[in-house]
Amino acid sequence: MIETINANTAEEKEEPAHLLEVKNLKKYFPIKTDFFGRPVEYLRAVDDVSFTLDRGTTIGIVGESGCGKTTLGRTILKLYEPDGGEVIYNGVNLTGIYKKEMRKYRTEIQLIFQDPYSSLPPRMTVGNIIAEAVKTHKIVPKSSLRSYVYDIMKKCGLQEQYYDRYPHEFSGGQRQRICIARALAVKPKLVVCDEPVSALDVSIQAQIINLLKELQNTMGLTYVFISHDLSVVKYITDSILVMYLGNMMEKGDTDEIFDNPLHPYTQALFSAVPQSDPDTKMKRIILNGDIPSPANPPKGCKFHTRCSKCMGICENVVPRYIEVKKNHFVACHLYDSEAMNNYFVGDAENGEK
Amino acid sequence: MSEQKKSSNYISIKESRKIIKENLRQMKYYESLKRKNLDPKSFTCAMHDENNIIEIDDLHTCFFTDTGTVKSVNGVSFDIPKNKIVGVVGESGCGKSVTSLSIMQLVQAPQGQVVGGEIRFNSDELGIDENGKKLGYNIAKMPTKEMYKIRGKDITMIFQEPMTSLNPVFTIGYQLDEVSFVHTPDIAKEDAKKKSIEMLEKVGIAMPEHVYKSYPHELSGGMRQRVMIAMALAGNPKLIIADEPTTALDVTIQAQILELLKDLQKSQGCSIMLITHDLGVIAEMADEVVVMYAGRVIEKGTAHEIFHDPKHPYTIGLQKSKPLLTSPSDEPLFSIPGQVPNPINLPNACYFKNRCDKCFNKCDGEYPPVIKISETHYVSCYLYGEQ
Repeated sequence: MIETINANTAEEKEEPAHLLEVKNLKKYFPIKTDFFGRPVEYLRAVDDVSFTLDRGTTIGIVGESGCGKTTLGRTILKLYEPDGGEVIYNGVNLTGIYKKEMRKYRTEIQLIFQDPYSSLPPRMTVGNIIAEAVKTHKIVPKSSLRSYVYDIMKKCGLQEQYYDRYPHEFSGGQRQRICIARALAVKPKLVVCDEPVSALDVSIQAQIINLLKELQNTMGLTYVFISHDLSVVKYITDSILVMYLGNMMEKGDTDEIFDNPLHPYTQALFSAVPQSDPDTKMKRIILNGDIPSPANPPKGCKFHTRCSKCMGICENVVPRYIEVKKNHFVACHLYDSEAMNNYFVGDAENGEK
Repeated sequence: MSEQKKSSNYISIKESRKIIKENLRQMKYYESLKRKNLDPKSFTCAMHDENNIIEIDDLHTCFFTDTGTVKSVNGVSFDIPKNKIVGVVGESGCGKSVTSLSIMQLVQAPQGQVVGGEIRFNSDELGIDENGKKLGYNIAKMPTKEMYKIRGKDITMIFQEPMTSLNPVFTIGYQLDEVSFVHTPDIAKEDAKKKSIEMLEKVGIAMPEHVYKSYPHELSGGMRQRVMIAMALAGNPKLIIADEPTTALDVTIQAQILELLKDLQKSQGCSIMLITHDLGVIAEMADEVVVMYAGRVIEKGTAHEIFHDPKHPYTIGLQKSKPLLTSPSDEPLFSIPGQVPNPINLPNACYFKNRCDKCFNKCDGEYPPVIKISETHYVSCYLYGEQ
């Protein structure tokens, strides 16, 4: 016990600038193997994603289904082994370390799952669900375990008498509270929330969002918030990362991105959100077609098949990732005059030949 | 601990046996009412207003479960006018889906039964009665055989999950042709195919011939939902019931499907009953809105009235608790405390009073009556009674 406390203080002395730093993270899933079982074709679920996250802030990861949001979240936790790039948590590179060493950090990084109906073991009582990880990691001495669990339950809005009940006796909102309590019981610093409210009703959604925000203020948590609901993301996050087919499209502070979305995909995504006012009929950018298969993504800019502002360059050249304003990155040829010039110069030369 | 368990939902074996016995009796009674050869007069009735396509009047649908009777729909009344989109909003378990299933006569029998009320469907085939009023079918009393003629032709339904509601072992074409074969038995095979491809074109599918031959698993979620809509349109329906048509889809695909539904409604001249829990979708689409809570309609009115002048505390809370793109993010979100009550043995009082922030002593009385605010706006809450 004393050792762990010392270790903690030693770690805190360093205090790197960012709690989490993701550098060029890649996760490829093999989809085709050759005769010898070697993978020959990959599904690029997460391709070259990087971001940094400060203490006590929230980053939102937004995108349609199949864009790699969940894979990104799981790769950060090392539930999937990354195929390239680095995840640096509190100054430690998690990608290189062994499973046994990783256990140290398991308590500090936690995950809240999307579906509270399938992510709770049906044959364990609520108390056991919350206490299991606490026991394994020896967070508190055995004698005070029960009172510690009561304390966590109270923080998450669960009553003490729920300790001996089973998950099936609870409604969706209460179950999500149990999931949150389970994640918070091991005193994490970073919580990856994988669509924590999308399976819940509107009135319950608000309760859970408020709870998450309140816990962030009182416990100083840092969230990676994965969601497809843009209004929730706007409400809870400080910065946003927009993904499409495994690639980052746009990244920046929440207010900046919502006030001034640059990428055509971000613009379309924002305009597709239904507004709760029957009288304001806004002009809508409706994207044609479906999201292409991630196993066989389009060449050049991956979005060009659905983009309304598609140019010749988009079909051939992968856009660079450029900083348009401070802390506002976008991957689109529209804002990259240099690449455009180069392309057209090259075009003209080819023509002469 | 044990006392608390008893008070919440503990049932002794003796009580349980009693409930099951009573359920059997009830189910037998309601099943015996369903006869094959009924006199047509017994299931036709006069429409109150011939501009309505459907009039739901005091509908009661119950489920006889082993823990007690669940009144899923408990006295619901609203009308769906011709050429209008009526939105039904509510949380899960409030009975909005069961209302739509009752209209389609698809409630899971024998546990689920329509026990009272009328669903009047405006049909052109029946003509006029002696008082000069237009006749319609009463779906609540209709035998299944007669219902076949309406279901899938005049009233169609788009289900929530396009993945599970298409048959995976038949091609899209086969499933679309089936609609034509059922409702026009003497149609030639080529004509049915032509019609199906025409339908697929209408819902904006790029290569209809190709899709006609493919199986559901080869299509994406948005495409499957388009196929479902094509299937619903195949019989030239007067009413389309769309039960959460976009919940399983992405925002960008949702925008496409909503646009499509709106266009089709205008070009086909049919009514749509749109069931959803997303207030944004309702605001976008609906002309009239019905808000349901625990099996009852608590407020109904035009979309403008519901969104700009909501009366019932639940409607107000529901709108405030949804974060908007324009709402400030530093103050806590408004949330309705507590949760939906247990639907078994609800007391005869306002179901919302335990979660309501405007609750006062009058709320302890009977269930509040429906109060008229304006010509189109009705609410059931004691806050707005006549003084």
